[in-house]
Amino acid sequence: MIWLLIVLFLLPLVWMVALSVQAQGAGLEAGMASFPQGVHPENYAAAVEQMEGFWHLVGNTTLLTVLSIGGQLFCCSLAGYAFARMRFAGRDVLFMLVLGTMMLPPQVLAIPQFLLYRELGLIDTFYPLLLPTLFGGAPFFIFLFRQYFLSLPAELSEAARVDGCGHFRTFFFVMLPLARPVVGTVAIFTFLATWNDFWSPLIYLNSPENQTLTLGLAAFNQSYRVAVELLMAASSMILAPCVLVYFLFQKVFIRGVRLSGAKG
Amino acid sequence: MIAGLVLAALAAPAAEYTWSAAKVGAPSGGASPAAQEPVVLRVMTHERWFAGFAYMEQVTEQFEREHPGVKVELISSSGGSGSRDKIKFALAGDLPIDVTWIDVTEFSSFLEEEVLVDLQQYFDADAEWHEEEYFASILAGMKDTRGHLYGLPSTFNPYVMYVNRSLLAEHGIAVPADDWTWDDLLRIARQVTRDLDGDGRSDQFGVSLTQWLQAITPWIWQNGGRLLDENGRVALDEPATIEAVAFLQSLLHEEKVASDDATFANQLSVSLFQAGRVAFYGPVGFWESYRFREIQDFEWDYLPLPRGKQAATAVAMRFYCVPRTARHPQLAYEFVRALAGPVMQRGLAQIGNGVPGLISAARSDAFLDPDTPQREEVFLQVLDGARFMPIRVNWAEIQDQSAALLEQALLLNTLSAEEACRRAAAAANESLQRRAQIRTRAPLGKGWFLAAQALVPLLFAAWLLLRLPRRSRRGERHAWMFLAPWAIGFVFLLAGPALVSALLSLSEWSPVQDLDQARWMGLDQYRRLAADPTFHASLRVTLYYALLAVPLQLAVALGLAMLLQRPARTQGFARTVFYLPAILSPVILGAMWRWILDGDLGAINSGLAWLGLRGPDWLKDPSWVVPSFVLMSLWTVGAQMLVFLAGLQGLDPRQIEAARMDGAGRWRRFVHVILPALSPILLFNLIVGLINAFQIFAQPFVMTQGGPGNESRFLVLYLYDQAFRYLRMGYASTLAWVLLAMVALLTLVILRTSRRWVHYAGRPR
Repeated sequence: MIWLLIVLFLLPLVWMVALSVQAQGAGLEAGMASFPQGVHPENYAAAVEQMEGFWHLVGNTTLLTVLSIGGQLFCCSLAGYAFARMRFAGRDVLFMLVLGTMMLPPQVLAIPQFLLYRELGLIDTFYPLLLPTLFGGAPFFIFLFRQYFLSLPAELSEAARVDGCGHFRTFFFVMLPLARPVVGTVAIFTFLATWNDFWSPLIYLNSPENQTLTLGLAAFNQSYRVAVELLMAASSMILAPCVLVYFLFQKVFIRGVRLSGAKG
Repeated sequence: MIAGLVLAALAAPAAEYTWSAAKVGAPSGGASPAAQEPVVLRVMTHERWFAGFAYMEQVTEQFEREHPGVKVELISSSGGSGSRDKIKFALAGDLPIDVTWIDVTEFSSFLEEEVLVDLQQYFDADAEWHEEEYFASILAGMKDTRGHLYGLPSTFNPYVMYVNRSLLAEHGIAVPADDWTWDDLLRIARQVTRDLDGDGRSDQFGVSLTQWLQAITPWIWQNGGRLLDENGRVALDEPATIEAVAFLQSLLHEEKVASDDATFANQLSVSLFQAGRVAFYGPVGFWESYRFREIQDFEWDYLPLPRGKQAATAVAMRFYCVPRTARHPQLAYEFVRALAGPVMQRGLAQIGNGVPGLISAARSDAFLDPDTPQREEVFLQVLDGARFMPIRVNWAEIQDQSAALLEQALLLNTLSAEEACRRAAAAANESLQRRAQIRTRAPLGKGWFLAAQALVPLLFAAWLLLRLPRRSRRGERHAWMFLAPWAIGFVFLLAGPALVSALLSLSEWSPVQDLDQARWMGLDQYRRLAADPTFHASLRVTLYYALLAVPLQLAVALGLAMLLQRPARTQGFARTVFYLPAILSPVILGAMWRWILDGDLGAINSGLAWLGLRGPDWLKDPSWVVPSFVLMSLWTVGAQMLVFLAGLQGLDPRQIEAARMDGAGRWRRFVHVILPALSPILLFNLIVGLINAFQIFAQPFVMTQGGPGNESRFLVLYLYDQAFRYLRMGYASTLAWVLLAMVALLTLVILRTSRRWVHYAGRPR
């Protein structure tokens, strides 16, 4: 039973990779599930060549991903720490507000944010994609950091204070290193979310030199001059880093998803 | 090593990044050729993989040679949004584009929004411009009501019929004469339609009918119908039009002599015509010859469309024009002239892209090509009856609306021709009236939006300023330093925009206009939404999807989690595999599942055929398209599964053991012990699943674009259409707020009722 399900779940991915090395045009000729006839790894080179500026897209996407991870970690760890360990008026109300914003569909904000960035002259730059990570962060990540900092013994930070560390030094040199598991979780989820994001690049990035892989793939998908096999080759390449990260950091992943349900 | 890679990746695009950031702030103007910086002309046109791109480069090189100091930057119009809409994003973002191509069906909306430069003065000042070198009937499509010319054609495509001569000969039928009629079409189609393999379904057809609005209009015109009446009202509901649509509907669904494989969405697949299984294919333009030239198995040719009461045809065309955002209009004009010059025109004709608008090129061998067996001259012959969509009306939205409605009559046969035409006319006229109404409203003024954006930040700052010095506690100040990044984002990027969005939902604004042009509409927007048939369809589809997907996702996720419960090596591997699809980008998901679910060639249907079964045409069958998306979503339930698994592993084994001792079987243990204990997690997954279901966008955007009809036009997809295709930011915001209200309401209802079925540990049941 379980093996049957494993096969069932793997099948679409295996099919995608199998089709990606078929001769160009074989799928349209004989159907998408016909038995593979020969292996054509050169499809991958052809896909890179036909997808406009493939390596450039890779570069943009990587840059966006790295900067987004940095932004999220900075903003969310600070906020999470404040909510967990510091006293200030309205703390609990504000924290409820953070959780409340999790419910907000991104589309409600998409149009006024577009308007805002337009008035600031930032359309077709990376700022609209990066500013929200550095300022604001994802509510869920703030929540994760808060829960984790709450779970650390209070004596730790107090000991640091006694040793003469200020709030910032305590945070950066004592508390943040202890929160490594959450840092890992947030980094990986941000990696996936940014790498795979379609909505924000679609709306904000226009010039070919600023576009990302998902946009390139969507354009590739729309062109009827592109062979299905190449489409699958491109998809496989874009997916590969995600799969790699997934297999390398599986534990972090699974812990992260579980934490998300913990508040249920 | 990884650090090295990251650095290397950073280095290249980082330069671009700062460049693009700086570029936006660059002052406009500065077109003087004496400037030291090279002038960059930004041109949005063909994709780089387009077969005629080499001609494009040739023209560019020559232009740069003739204009020293000018650099032409060719920007592909592809990239996510599709080539039709990309220019709108550029205009909305106020990006510098000097030359763009637009589809002639969009011309009226661009005119209305006043985003194109009137090129007449440039033509007048150009001594080398001779209007008579181009087909007058084609230039007419690019002129406004005063007769001012806005651009020049790339190539144009009158709609004709393609005919499979070999197939007709095989059945002893003569190829019809150029003045053939609807009756001839029907007669021949009846003779040709056959069920060759004897499975009770026809697999050889008389005609393969194209069904987008522009391809349907020739039939309407031929029957004496019209798109607009003398009062400027959309007249799709007049008898002549209904009769024409009914004729097509009868070919498809009563006579069953027409195949429906030639929808716009289907242009990717091999058509029946290419397979040699259909006598006529059309109405369609010259562009199809590009792929049909490879046909080896039979002889084919072009025919004028069969006549109705008169001969008429529509013309598909893209033309080059200069948007208002152009930094160098004079140079842009000159480049438009170069693009519509002999090099490109002959080149594009040669590769089968379209008919040259330049008369000398159209009459040359580059187009008429005596070496091919086909009669290219047919395209020039039909020009007499060629017409364009009337430019007084903004067709962008009307076209999509009526296409979806006509699809219900023609493709799906769920509406009568009369009903579809009546509804299409009603929707179009409503849309026209509304546009007229918007123009009568008073502009709102930028100040209101600024105030809305600034209100929360100001209040927040005031609160902080009042509060901090009074208490003057160091700890509190430190806390706010820690919170600063979050708080800045919250007030500026979240709270401010939320208020702006509320204001927008009560007004109307086109993003290609200045914000000062936003007009106050009040609650009209909400009233209109309540009466909008497309919104109703969209709501129905979204609710149907949520109703089907959410419970099934919960069941599948819980089922998988139960299977994984026992720790064992297989289970660990299975967990890895079950979660794997959840890391896929929705775009990849869409790209792969489109071909898994394809009706003729898809992996699932090929598999079923192998078993001797015939699968449905998943994404094109109105009753299967939503279930298709549900099926896809079930493959990606990994996250929900892991949450369930965590819950299962947190259960108290003694409790289950106790139930077993009491003699409870597996099912009763599940229902009475496990499920209640899991209920808080069930609640969490239910709410998250529901929120996600209402936000589905990328998959239908990539796979179906909302079709067939409106059967997959999910709410967010409709919101996107309104905002970025029809340029109605106000109405789209109205939609966004209604979406938010619905999700909030449903969540509230679930939370309220959850008290009855959610059991928290330690509390009595």
